[in-house]
Amino acid sequence: MKKNITKKVLTSLAALGLMTASLMLSAADYPEKGNFVKGAKTWADNCIRCHNLRDPKELRDDQWISTVFHMRVRGGLTGQETRDILTFLQQSN
Amino acid sequence: MRKSNKKFKKLLLTAVIGAIFPAAAFSANQLDTLIQEVEQLKRDVKDAEEWRSPNSLIHMAGYANVGYVSNDDPEIEDSFNVGSFAPIFHYQYRDQVMLESELEITQNEDGSTEVVLEYLTIDWFINDYAVLVAGKFLSPIGNFRQNLHPSWINKLPSAPPGFGHDGAAPVSDVGVQLRGGFHLGSMKANYALYMGNGPEVKAEIEDDGMGGVDEIEFDGVEAEAFGADSDGEKVVGGRFALLPVPSLEVGVSFLSGNATVTSYEGDIPSGGAPSLDDIESSGYDVVGVDVSWIGKGMDARYEYVNTEMSGANIGGFDLESAEWETWYAQFAYRFMPTKFEGVVRYTDFDSPHASSDVEQTAVGVNYLFTNNFIGKVAFESNKNPNAGQTAYDRWMLQLAYGF
Repeated sequence: MKKNITKKVLTSLAALGLMTASLMLSAADYPEKGNFVKGAKTWADNCIRCHNLRDPKELRDDQWISTVFHMRVRGGLTGQETRDILTFLQQSN
Repeated sequence: MRKSNKKFKKLLLTAVIGAIFPAAAFSANQLDTLIQEVEQLKRDVKDAEEWRSPNSLIHMAGYANVGYVSNDDPEIEDSFNVGSFAPIFHYQYRDQVMLESELEITQNEDGSTEVVLEYLTIDWFINDYAVLVAGKFLSPIGNFRQNLHPSWINKLPSAPPGFGHDGAAPVSDVGVQLRGGFHLGSMKANYALYMGNGPEVKAEIEDDGMGGVDEIEFDGVEAEAFGADSDGEKVVGGRFALLPVPSLEVGVSFLSGNATVTSYEGDIPSGGAPSLDDIESSGYDVVGVDVSWIGKGMDARYEYVNTEMSGANIGGFDLESAEWETWYAQFAYRFMPTKFEGVVRYTDFDSPHASSDVEQTAVGVNYLFTNNFIGKVAFESNKNPNAGQTAYDRWMLQLAYGF
């Protein structure tokens, strides 16, 4: 019984430590953060110009960076639009 | 001092845990183990974070398609095909530079595999409004080639006639390009300007029946990027597009320069053909217009491209000026809330050779398993009204996946 409780406590503390460490470390520090709301609108307005909208959950945060920069070149997005869309996608996946 | 702090923290942690779980108070050894494990976990998370968000990113995207074609032409058997596999590689350093490269891997009829470098560019993100793109890039003339040709984006299994190889619209070029976007009040604009090696031109030579040359005429413009500029003539071009509202985009394109005949098409007469060394180049001009409108499940597009070569002289034979012209209008509609989409496209392609002209009507139904995995069924009616010859119709099935 005592062993079980100890194990649970250790597991809980480990999870707590993991979460704290995760929060302390941010994702990529580039590009600077964009605007989530503007990003949602820009994403809906621009991506559909050529192709079906892709689900934000399709890719991880880091994968969205290269994908959105690729689309910046293809779709003639401004740097700010790129940052806004990226913020929206990274916070929606 | 630091040691006593640590000891104090240990005691405090023991007291807290003891208070919360009185039956499970830890021994000092258990607490040491616990602290070590948490520290190790923190290091592991940090390591994982480094892996997840380094300054340099490597990423692969792309698309592929497989299909089946049933052709009316009695000389072509109905066949399954693998279409193409087009991986796109990205290597990016922060938000400063990105290397992009797409390969197009296809399987030939004889089973051999062909690999083509579709594009390879280094993109320098200069500022919020400009990106310098250098290398081999898709032609920014018009919209289809640079943005709509991937199989998971193209609403039909085939490209509209005139937008492929030896067509009216340039495919790619090697050079340097400046592109980007900006706002004009409430409107949005995007642009691309470039200088490249330009195309090479093929000439068709006709035998006079006695081993000599009867006539020479332009055969086709090979507007695909060449690794070297064999005629030394550069071209300058670009596209400017305005979006008065987000759902409407109107683009105009131009390309201008000189191009030279670098090869002959067809059988060379037994008496030989005039040398192509040191011949004068001809004027080469392309203009294009594209319009797209998106709204409420509808997707309407129109695109026009005209390529013109001015006359030339090869070994005393005058080549008449030549013109290639193509346009298509396409309308697609998504039947919400189902996953079905209907599409119809009409294309009219005219070239200097009547046998290459095509008037095509294509109708298709797509099923969107997901937004990037699409099943297509389409029928193409092809007519060649100018040559008095039969143009064959075909049915096409395609599965396209963008990743």
